[in-house]
Amino acid sequence: MKFKEGITEKNVIVRCGADSILPFALVFGLYIILFGTISPGGGFQGGVIVAVSALLIYLGYGYNDASKALNINVLRVNESLGAVIYVILGVIGVAFTANFATNILYNLGSAGDLISAGTITFMSYSVGYKVMTGVGLLLMLMLGLLAPGSDGETDEDDEEEEA
Amino acid sequence: MKAKKIVAVVSVLVLLAFMAVAMCVAYIKVPGTYENTTDVKALLDDPKAYDTEGAEGIAEIIVKENLDKTNAMNDVASIVFDFRGFDTLGESFILLTAIAGTFVILSVKKKAKKEGSEK
Repeated sequence: MKFKEGITEKNVIVRCGADSILPFALVFGLYIILFGTISPGGGFQGGVIVAVSALLIYLGYGYNDASKALNINVLRVNESLGAVIYVILGVIGVAFTANFATNILYNLGSAGDLISAGTITFMSYSVGYKVMTGVGLLLMLMLGLLAPGSDGETDEDDEEEEA
Repeated sequence: MKAKKIVAVVSVLVLLAFMAVAMCVAYIKVPGTYENTTDVKALLDDPKAYDTEGAEGIAEIIVKENLDKTNAMNDVASIVFDFRGFDTLGESFILLTAIAGTFVILSVKKKAKKEGSEK
């Protein structure tokens, strides 16, 4: 029955484990996003690795603290922002060569630099940003079911009724 | 609500304008990505007419041409974000649809819970 109500008690061992793994997971995921276009990896994979930090925070600190750290409304806005940036970067290619997502602006740095592959780099970053916030939002929504009396979702319902 | 509608209409109009520009440009000339490239079917039919003496053979020609066409540093990135950019767009919008579905299902459950507790 304790499992159904979610994690509310804070276990010291679990919290220390989450604390020690969290920075490495964040740095590794951001590294994979940043170097996605010139090395194995990419936006999708790195974004999922970063988003798992939501689970780590939930395991260590419980749902209330996790929902304070990762606000659902902020995550939703940022995910849409990533999608819009991707579409804009793709449409810029249409203006130059009549192909969606054509690579332009490619002579920015020497070969192997972070920003050396043109708009491909920024499209990869936008996909990484979108997946990072989107999977985090999914995880927070699903963890909200486990928590008793969560306040993150009731705000959502009130907003939708007003609109 | 009005601001949202105006933003939606303006963005759709901008997209349509870009599509019209793309159609005009594509009618005047072939898109630049596919100029001066090897015909892959001819290459597969008659590989001896091409220079396939390298370590990788035919694959090397295709990979090098991909990098020349897109000016990318990595061949996988050149395919995922340039040739198949539209595919990646749909792929990432799957996530958006999944989140929309989750929102709908969870809000319905929450409302049912609320009504049950009130009664």
